[in-house]
Amino acid sequence: MRNLLNFLARYNNLIIFLILEGIAFYLLATRNSYHNSRVVNGVMGMTRGFEKRINNTRSYLSLHQINESLAAENVSLKNRIELMGRKENSPFFSVTDSVYKQQYVHTSAEVIENSINRQKNFFTINKGELQGVKVDMAVISANSIAGVIVGCSKNYSVALSLLNLDFKVSARIKSNGYFGSLSWDGRDYRYAVLSDIPQHVIVNVGDTIETTGYSAIFPEGALVGTVSDYEKSGGDFYKITISLLTDFKKIHFVDVIGNLKKTEQLELEKLFK
Amino acid sequence: MINSILRFGLIFILLVLLQVLLLNNIQFSGYVNPYVYIMFILLLPVEFPSWLLLLLSFVTGMIIDFFSGSPGMHTSATVLAGFVRPYVLRIVAPRDGYEPGSDPSMLTYGFRWFLSYTSLIVLVHHTALFYLEVFRFADFFRTMSRVLLSSLFSVIFILLIEYYRRGK
Repeated sequence: MRNLLNFLARYNNLIIFLILEGIAFYLLATRNSYHNSRVVNGVMGMTRGFEKRINNTRSYLSLHQINESLAAENVSLKNRIELMGRKENSPFFSVTDSVYKQQYVHTSAEVIENSINRQKNFFTINKGELQGVKVDMAVISANSIAGVIVGCSKNYSVALSLLNLDFKVSARIKSNGYFGSLSWDGRDYRYAVLSDIPQHVIVNVGDTIETTGYSAIFPEGALVGTVSDYEKSGGDFYKITISLLTDFKKIHFVDVIGNLKKTEQLELEKLFK
Repeated sequence: MINSILRFGLIFILLVLLQVLLLNNIQFSGYVNPYVYIMFILLLPVEFPSWLLLLLSFVTGMIIDFFSGSPGMHTSATVLAGFVRPYVLRIVAPRDGYEPGSDPSMLTYGFRWFLSYTSLIVLVHHTALFYLEVFRFADFFRTMSRVLLSSLFSVIFILLIEYYRRGK
């Protein structure tokens, strides 16, 4: 204690000086828009640089898995192309229209920042407005849903992760088509909860869950996961625990999907609400 | 005691008015902005307690900042000037030391002493001030020339005021 007092007495001028300068710098950095923007940009630039470097290393180390998932994705995409070709052999369109056929536009992106351990998780991807990413686009990782874009800057976007208490999407059981509301209960990053499925529906462990496309954000049929457990929760509904297909702990390459006909759909629906 | 508080209060008000009403509106060619209010820090008695000096520097800077709309800029530069003043006094000390209870004025210690004392502190203050204003080292030498030119003019102004004070 005495040493501390001695120390304070000896350096009191220096301490007062540092305190006053601290206040002055605080004012300088927060109350002047020019200085403030320089400080903020400096800090942001530093952390962005770090994140980029860490990310580079990580993407190199996980090249093997990425290759595998890309190959798997290729196969499934090829299959979907086949399906599409069949769908669009419809005889009712006589005019050649390149727009009506394409409903979704894909942009691939890399996740550069991610969290799974909070109640409200977000992740950041390296594509932004300049690359055509907009708010309310869906984010999909190798065919299974991951999140929704909630904010864009020029070159980066932030997405609301499925692992966020605010995230809700309409999903259905693939085998029988009954749909409910999918959300995350904040407990385990591998599981989510599907509610609002009535109890007369037959549910089996292992059933595939996919999106319905009702929200106009996610395309129809994007995979969510499989049923891992279900129980009767009061009322007439099941509480179904779903094992998520997306592994949020190693999510890296994602597709951002924009629905070109979303505004059309929403505006039409607005008329009846 | 009361007398000298009144005297320094008056000096303070006059310098602040001179600075914010007149000198803040002068800009030769974008390079020269003399800052004379720092003279208040220069004129306080030699044995003035340094913690009070720091606080007064802070208040002075805040007031100038208030009038020039640049929160923190003049404050940090002036506090720095107040912090280095005791060291500068030690550096430029006359051979037989300072007389107890004296003011660091031209009348007491002579023109050459006052010139070097003023120049050093003004230089420290202006360097901090101008580099904080641009807040980058990109135009290092341009800023340096602004510092040197403005310091020159500030020192000239301060010497003129000091001459006038002595004449009274």
